[in-house]
Amino acid sequence: MTEDKFEEFLKKTAQSYNAPPARVPRDEMWAAIQAKRSVGPRVVYGGGATYVVGQRRFGTKVWLGAAAAAMLLVATGVGIGRWSASPSTPNVASSNLPVPGVVVPNPDAGTPGSVTPAATVPQSGGGTSRGSVDRTFSTKAPAVASNNTQQRRPELPNTNLSATGPSSAYQLTAVQHLSEAEALLTSFRTRSSADQQMDAQLGAWARQLLSNTRLLLDSPVANDPQRRPLLEDLELVLVQIVQLSPGSTPQDRELIEKTLQQDHVMTRLRTAIPAGAQRGS
Amino acid sequence: MHMVAYESSSSVNDIQLITRVVAGDAAAERELYETYVDRIYRLTFRLAGDDELARDFTQATFIRAFEKIGSFRGESSLSTWLHSIGLSVTLNGLRKTKRQRNREAPIEEGITVGSTRVEAEPDLKERLARAIDSLADKYRTVFVMHDVEGYTHEEISGTLNIPVGTSKSHLFQARSKLRVMLADFAPEWVS
Repeated sequence: MTEDKFEEFLKKTAQSYNAPPARVPRDEMWAAIQAKRSVGPRVVYGGGATYVVGQRRFGTKVWLGAAAAAMLLVATGVGIGRWSASPSTPNVASSNLPVPGVVVPNPDAGTPGSVTPAATVPQSGGGTSRGSVDRTFSTKAPAVASNNTQQRRPELPNTNLSATGPSSAYQLTAVQHLSEAEALLTSFRTRSSADQQMDAQLGAWARQLLSNTRLLLDSPVANDPQRRPLLEDLELVLVQIVQLSPGSTPQDRELIEKTLQQDHVMTRLRTAIPAGAQRGS
Repeated sequence: MHMVAYESSSSVNDIQLITRVVAGDAAAERELYETYVDRIYRLTFRLAGDDELARDFTQATFIRAFEKIGSFRGESSLSTWLHSIGLSVTLNGLRKTKRQRNREAPIEEGITVGSTRVEAEPDLKERLARAIDSLADKYRTVFVMHDVEGYTHEEISGTLNIPVGTSKSHLFQARSKLRVMLADFAPEWVS
């Protein structure tokens, strides 16, 4: 076959190559263009697929990997903490609790020196199981408090978490989680307002962190009177980010920004992280 | 020749249209879109081979065009400028998504066994599609634009910002490679 014939054959046969549909979806595409342009002034190349040009600092795999690692870390930490707090390891979560029969009620009971650490004082009924000790705590601690003139928080021991194994695990987990949350919120605040792909990635990340936040809220970490409100506020913000849909309006994002600012979430997070790191180290 | 006449006659309308778009005339935006969307969509579809991708690329092309139209200097025709954006968006998008059909692997075999005729040969069109897919982007783009969509070398030159001679060279290379790849259909092509 001559070259001309081959070219003729090519042109003819190649007409079927990726043949576009007869009807061009003009109206649908125009509507999509208008919707995307209304989101913001920045341009998203490729309409929200994985080919956003020049705006993404990290790929999807990086975000998902980070989220998975964070979730694994938190789950491991919470698991270790719960396992360590099981009956096989006594005197763990009670280092600062007033032990019935050990602490003599006195007017200065609220001061640190007034509570004798349980580990240094032989307990009555030392042969009993850890479970029974815990039950004794839970039922008798209020009675001890009632003997004192000062109010006492039953779960106060968790404010000092650095001395014992499980507390350190919880502590480390909490600090890592708060660090992740800070990274997420920083990414959220610095992202492009029109970057819907980024919103989707942040949403997936926030979903992971939301699960971990709720786990932590159910753990002894949340007994800290400062940390619990922080986790609760963080939970609220994460829920808002998770609920951000690709077509969400700038007002939705402003609402999150307002929550962040009014509750000083970022400031409290940053304050909590170094303090937690010091205790955990 | 026909295309040159078309471009020169449309340039006045283009300038008026651009002026209205820059001024924020929504109707002018729609008019610009309606004028060029078919060709842009067809070209992106030919290159992407996927409706969803073609829509995304077309939309991104016009979004970018509307954003940048204020900086359009008129050094080329509006059509060339739009096609430039469209090709840039499409080729970058395809490169990044790597979703160019799963027909690339089999073509490697096709190249190596090109000298032996396969008895139960698949459909020729399918085989040609695989061969075109396997071309390098620069060859495939020129081939699709010229031999499939009917663009002139001048248009391709302006759109891809390459000399006309380079466009012709790329087309020659594309055809040569396709000829080799399809040799088992007609060995006499390879000579």
